Amino acid sequence: MKLIKDKVAKLSFVALLVTVTAAMFYAPTASAHGEKSQAAFMRMRTIHWFDLNWSKDTVAVNDTMTISGKFHVFAGWPETVDKPEISFLNIGIPGPVFIRQGSWIGGQLVPRSVTLELGETYEFKVLLKARRPGDWHVHTMMNVKGGGPIIGPGKWVTVTGTMGSFTNPVTTLLGDTINLETYNLSNTYFWHAFWYGLGLVWVGYWARKPIFVPRHIAMEAGKADSLITAGDRKVALGFAVGTIAIVAFGMSSTNAAYPVTTPLQAGLLRGMKPIELPARTVNVKVEDATYRVPGRAMQMTLTITNNGDSAVRLGEFNTAGVRFLDPKVHTDETGYPDDLLAEEGLSVSDNSPIAPGTSRTVQVTASDAAWEVYRLADLIYDPDSRFAGLLFFFDEAGNRQMVMVDAPLIPTFI
Amino acid sequence: MSASQSAVRSRAEAVKVSRTFDWLILFTLFFVVLGGYHIHYMLTGGDWDFWTDWKDRRLWVTVAPIVSITFPAAVQACLWWRYRLPFGAVVCILGLLLGEWINRYMNFWGWTYFPVNFCFPSNLMPGAIVLDVVLMLTNSMTITAVIGGMAYGLLFYPGNWPIMAPLHVPVEYNGMMMTLADLQGYHYVRTGTPEYIRMVEKGTLRTFGKDVAPVSAFFSAFVSILIYFLWHFFGKWFAGTGFVQSS
Repeated sequence: MKLIKDKVAKLSFVALLVTVTAAMFYAPTASAHGEKSQAAFMRMRTIHWFDLNWSKDTVAVNDTMTISGKFHVFAGWPETVDKPEISFLNIGIPGPVFIRQGSWIGGQLVPRSVTLELGETYEFKVLLKARRPGDWHVHTMMNVKGGGPIIGPGKWVTVTGTMGSFTNPVTTLLGDTINLETYNLSNTYFWHAFWYGLGLVWVGYWARKPIFVPRHIAMEAGKADSLITAGDRKVALGFAVGTIAIVAFGMSSTNAAYPVTTPLQAGLLRGMKPIELPARTVNVKVEDATYRVPGRAMQMTLTITNNGDSAVRLGEFNTAGVRFLDPKVHTDETGYPDDLLAEEGLSVSDNSPIAPGTSRTVQVTASDAAWEVYRLADLIYDPDSRFAGLLFFFDEAGNRQMVMVDAPLIPTFI
Repeated sequence: MSASQSAVRSRAEAVKVSRTFDWLILFTLFFVVLGGYHIHYMLTGGDWDFWTDWKDRRLWVTVAPIVSITFPAAVQACLWWRYRLPFGAVVCILGLLLGEWINRYMNFWGWTYFPVNFCFPSNLMPGAIVLDVVLMLTNSMTITAVIGGMAYGLLFYPGNWPIMAPLHVPVEYNGMMMTLADLQGYHYVRTGTPEYIRMVEKGTLRTFGKDVAPVSAFFSAFVSILIYFLWHFFGKWFAGTGFVQSS
């Protein structure tokens, strides 16, 4: 029996060593932000990000980059998510590896929460300053109160340099320029160390004499009063009076040193200015839509009516940030993330130009591994199994027109 | 040696054992309190204690003392009524602050790179010292709750103001006025803490103009009194030996 026990113990120890060693040699960085785990309908039927541009792929510490583009607030916003009446334009990065120097919606600075209108399209820009070196996945993101963070497309950006050289200078309204990265740090350490030290002295005063056993015996013997001496009382009184005096002194000296302070600012910005899109001349009716599970392809039957004065062709289907393109009509030249771009992922049964004043019913197939990789196929397991996305039509002059589609989705398993 | 014989053979040895026992208990108490109190305070105080842009003059002042007077009251009940030791509140705050600082430095700064001047913990020591002293001088739970609890709530804001005031200096930023603390919250991106989740000056109290901090502190002090009673009783009950089988 002992032999078995020893063997088990030895093997357990070896297994532990192997595990620790393996972890030392291979411990990959967790780089994603759970964007693929977010319910597919959240990504497909809330905020549609498009025309995104990450200004740089590589940026040095202290240098800036921007993420700009547009987002459409889906008119068929799901009932299971609160409306974006209180929203915040955020950025999805793993901690403050960049600082957000500015963010704008429709040209308005938005350090506060904003109200967004369903069915509207907004222009946005976020200015980031690189802070920590590494390869970071930088996402667009909109937080919606009652809905949570709605993450948009992300792109890898490399930050070079050293974090130690990062500075964040800010000029106050009193004219002082400070480095927000380290500002007030020594003051914070001083006061915390001071009060912690005072607390230790107080405990130390009592712990210098036997604490538990003799005091407990005295208590049991009814000699509690003998445990606190007159000297103890004087020391305690000194501590209390000293504490109150130090707090009062700290308060008054701080007020003298910082005569101008303001309360924290918070609020909600309403009236964000949407983009004024030209009158839509292309109408699309979704006759049916299916998702073929084995083929990782979504097929739509669309009736497209061109009410404009120029022939149009369908060039792109964009949903949850994944772009399916028909390369014969439209190619991407913005450096959009590869994993979100299906350059030949859109096929149309008849994609010849649709002449003005005519209608055509076509089969449109959007197929790519991204359906699985980005777990959009999980849509079929959602409680409200509908899809939504943006269709982009291009006329003969290259002008683009955006049409929103939204319809039930039927899965096929064979 | 039979079970009825003493384990020590001289008074000197007894004293030595007693002191060893003191340090063992104190060490254990410190870290047990650190763990339990830290979790409690993280769950109930949470963001109010994490970020400078949450430390406003109304809700932070109100919430932090109320949720933090709990463990000090309970540990006081144990240490005072069983041992006449008046450092229950301070030892709790020492444990909490050590835990908080380890967390802020190792996790917030070391792991996720938030600057320490943005995520340092609140200072709770002045109130704790006064709470201990009041209990010691009065030997009364009721007076400690009323006087000590009130002092605990009232001393919180002025005790933190020397650390917080520099961060309330205003800046003009792209045409908007903010405090430096607001700017920290805006600059240092938190994906899970959007601006609207900040609990800053929500509610009423508008009739007091700009001087709402003292009103909030008094309200906090009043509720701290009630919470002190409750947790003092928890402590007394927890420190009892009624549930241990008598030999």
